[in-house]
Amino acid sequence: MSPELQQVGREEFVLNMGPHHPATHGVLRFVLHTDGEIMRRAVPEVGYLHRGLEKLAEAHTYAAYVPFTDRINYLESMFCNQVWSMAVERLLGLQVPRRAEYLRVIACELNRIANHCIALGSIAMDVGAYTPFVYLLREREAINDLLEALCGNRLTYHYVRIGGVAHDVDEGWQGKVRAYLDHLEPILDELHSLVGGNEILVRRLGGVAVICASDAVGWGLVGPNLRASGVDWDLRRDRPYSVYPELSFEVPVGRGEQGQVGDCYDRWTVRVAEMRQSVRLLRQALERLPAGDILAKVPRSIKPPAGEVYQPVEGARGELGLYLVSDGSPKPSRAKWRSSSFAALSIVEHLSRGLMIADLVALIASLDPIAPEVDR
Amino acid sequence: MESLVQHLSARWSLGPWGQELLAAAAILLVAALVFVVALTYAGIITWVERRVAGRTQSRVGPNRVGPFGFLQWLADGAKMILKEDVIPAQADGPMFRLAPYACMLGVFTAFVSVPFGQLLIAADLNVGILFLLAITSLVVVGVLMAGWASNNKWSLLGGVRSAAQIVSYELPAGLAVLVVVLGAGSLSMQDIVRAQGGAPWNWFVFRDPFCLVAFFLYFTAAVAEGNRTPFDLPEAESELVAGYNTEYSGIRFGGFFLGEFANIYLLSAIATSLFLGGWQVPGVSPAEQAGSVWLQLLGFAIFFAKAWALVFVVVWLRWTLPRLRVDQLMGLCYRYLIPLAFACLLGTSLLLLAVVPGSALDLGLRLGTTGLGALGGALFAWRVAHHIRRAGDRVSLDVLQRGARGAFDPAWQTRRYGAFRKAARGQEER
Amino acid sequence: MGALASYLRAIGRTVLSVGDGLAVTFSYLLRAPVTLQYPDRMRVPVIELLPERSRGMLEVDLDLCTGCAACDRACPIDCIALEVVKHAERGRLIQRFDIDLGKCMFCGLCTEACPTGAIRHSHEFEGGTGDVRALVVPFVDAPRQPAKAKQEPPPAPKPLGSILRARMPGPWDRPRPPARPEGGEHAG
Repeated sequence: MSPELQQVGREEFVLNMGPHHPATHGVLRFVLHTDGEIMRRAVPEVGYLHRGLEKLAEAHTYAAYVPFTDRINYLESMFCNQVWSMAVERLLGLQVPRRAEYLRVIACELNRIANHCIALGSIAMDVGAYTPFVYLLREREAINDLLEALCGNRLTYHYVRIGGVAHDVDEGWQGKVRAYLDHLEPILDELHSLVGGNEILVRRLGGVAVICASDAVGWGLVGPNLRASGVDWDLRRDRPYSVYPELSFEVPVGRGEQGQVGDCYDRWTVRVAEMRQSVRLLRQALERLPAGDILAKVPRSIKPPAGEVYQPVEGARGELGLYLVSDGSPKPSRAKWRSSSFAALSIVEHLSRGLMIADLVALIASLDPIAPEVDR
Repeated sequence: MESLVQHLSARWSLGPWGQELLAAAAILLVAALVFVVALTYAGIITWVERRVAGRTQSRVGPNRVGPFGFLQWLADGAKMILKEDVIPAQADGPMFRLAPYACMLGVFTAFVSVPFGQLLIAADLNVGILFLLAITSLVVVGVLMAGWASNNKWSLLGGVRSAAQIVSYELPAGLAVLVVVLGAGSLSMQDIVRAQGGAPWNWFVFRDPFCLVAFFLYFTAAVAEGNRTPFDLPEAESELVAGYNTEYSGIRFGGFFLGEFANIYLLSAIATSLFLGGWQVPGVSPAEQAGSVWLQLLGFAIFFAKAWALVFVVVWLRWTLPRLRVDQLMGLCYRYLIPLAFACLLGTSLLLLAVVPGSALDLGLRLGTTGLGALGGALFAWRVAHHIRRAGDRVSLDVLQRGARGAFDPAWQTRRYGAFRKAARGQEER
Repeated sequence: MGALASYLRAIGRTVLSVGDGLAVTFSYLLRAPVTLQYPDRMRVPVIELLPERSRGMLEVDLDLCTGCAACDRACPIDCIALEVVKHAERGRLIQRFDIDLGKCMFCGLCTEACPTGAIRHSHEFEGGTGDVRALVVPFVDAPRQPAKAKQEPPPAPKPLGSILRARMPGPWDRPRPPARPEGGEHAG
């Protein structure tokens, strides 16, 4: 090769994907170094949505911080509520009534379905199919309605509280959830007919951006992304909390149906399977919902004894953790959130070499990061 | 048209110069007419697109301007004309300004040799189909100009993708057209239509199985040439922001859009003429049709219906399918479409040699292929019915049955939060 | 032979899966749309469709307010400005009770803290305004005496949203478009 051509070969095309770009969910930025369409390197840049939510915790009482947790990740607010409440309960040594635990499970699993609706919809949209996104938003809308009837708001639920939950449910609401679940399952089949089994989608996602199990563990991936890589790990089963041990469910794991284990298509199928498992969990929880209180006896002024605690739960995106330090005052001394989106984004640079621009878009969508959760 | 010009010049006893002027005026008139028709079709397709998109997504779509929102496209057009035409400071000005016209030129000129009816054709060129294939390739020049002149990396990627795509998909489209040309023995659009008949089994698409495949090949390749989903890589919203037209606004952006939408009609019209019998009326020979104004109108209506049905399919495809990747797009073209097109060409040639036109074997082949098509349609209808049965004919959002709820009790919320407070103090809940 | 078979299988899979996808989208042409044509083509206004617990814009019923400032203390973001002064003759007076709805995050902590249910979430949500200052809603016109914690008989509850509507410019001031049937697109 002549020196000029070698020079041309080394030339890089630097593209700024974001902060405003249709494929960067929220305000994210990727600096792409490409050779034409082929990626040399994609470097995620974060920090555009930093709101100081961890520092804010130090300025508010334990109870008053709960609505802030809604804002950490607007797609899984219920889990954020729950993590905070569980951490404070552990510091207080509080026992949560069983009815409240069941209501938490019901609310969280509904939230998980809603979150996966968005996740699947954005994968479909980022590979160019717009209609599945609209169908899935429609399904999520019904969950928003149900959760609004339960807790009063559609996204920022503020439902799970320290010591229990805010509102009780009645028989009518449970019936509506059951009716919704009956309606959802055929819709998931329809989704498979529409796009999940579509050859174009299969080719776009299958075998693309494969994350092997050791990489997935090494980069700290959690939840559906980790399970898609074949790692059978679910906090609901392996570090049981709440009433999950009393309910039976399976943990879907990526099997490499259309390529290799850990490719984008596995991240799609694992999420669909998780929605089905959530439906199963919801049916059981509604059936077994015990009578009783929904809120434990919580002191008016919450002052946990000095100490520290790390509380994880299996959120919709996987392990959502909170490290909470109390100094015995009414306000936390330090709170640190461990967010799954941040870990998911960090692997992008490692995977990006050799991908095409279109693959990178599919990879980002299939990792399902949420910008506010990355920056907090 | 030529005969009309000669007739009029003889009647008005015009000299050679007058005759030239008259001819020029006639050409301008026809050109203006074709342009307006193409623009109108393009506009109406934007409405069809939005309506179909809405309804397939269990939405409603535009429904405020005019009956069923039909006049929406006029409102959109007025909006585009009124909007500011922004030209980036670093753009290559003249080329940037010119690009949408190159796009429109390629598409609108092609309308000249589309046979809307037996007598409704601006110019029945003896190389009609070749002209159509050639002139529509001009679009790629416009797209490439836009991508380059915008001085934007996303636009450039879009332009380059478009060039590779359109040039590649010319091949399968041309080969599929050859299958028809073999059967008709002419390149003239009118001759190709005349070689077919009114009834489905006399259409080229159902002449033999190879023609059926060739129809799908042509349609796929034409959709790809029109930059439509699943082949909309040059625009690829989620990857390239808006691809080659990222930097365009106002009526220049509108120019690209009108070109794209007119192209949809164009490809549907060409497919209708080549494969679906064009303006042929069932049971009426072209000679009979030429004699009656009513049959002419009926022929036009039939062409119109078939072409718009295909337009619907193009739009419907867009709102169903994901987008291919660049390498898959090329793979589809070179590994699937082109070999299949060659196979069809070969198969049709052999059948032409083996089967005598009008023989029982020919009729059997035609009826069999039509049956195959009908079978596909039936299978499709069964799947549609299956989906409706499975998820219900009304995918209702109204899980709360909100409409049925009675009057609201204003004191409720006060009660509710009072109860929460009591529970927080460990008193009786509820 | 295996290569050819897989080549043909790929074609078959593509055709069938694309066909099935098309069947799904086509079937929606035959089903009813779910769109609620907010705001002008609703069978009933959206506000009447909201569930009871819906947390809309805050309002304060001064006939119930004891001026205890529990809401002010509970609010995580200080969107409530409450001033209680001591007057020489009239005793404690609520001088100011402003709620900045532009700051409010609709968490409901104030309504839970209120001992008398004076502060509550209405169902109003259409608070869009061209001026951000219009979102600071004053609920006290002139200094007034706080209500007693236990009133006999308790005052009749005011209709939800009526207090807010009286004190804030909003869409409720504009005439409503004539009600049209839902999904009215087919009717015209």
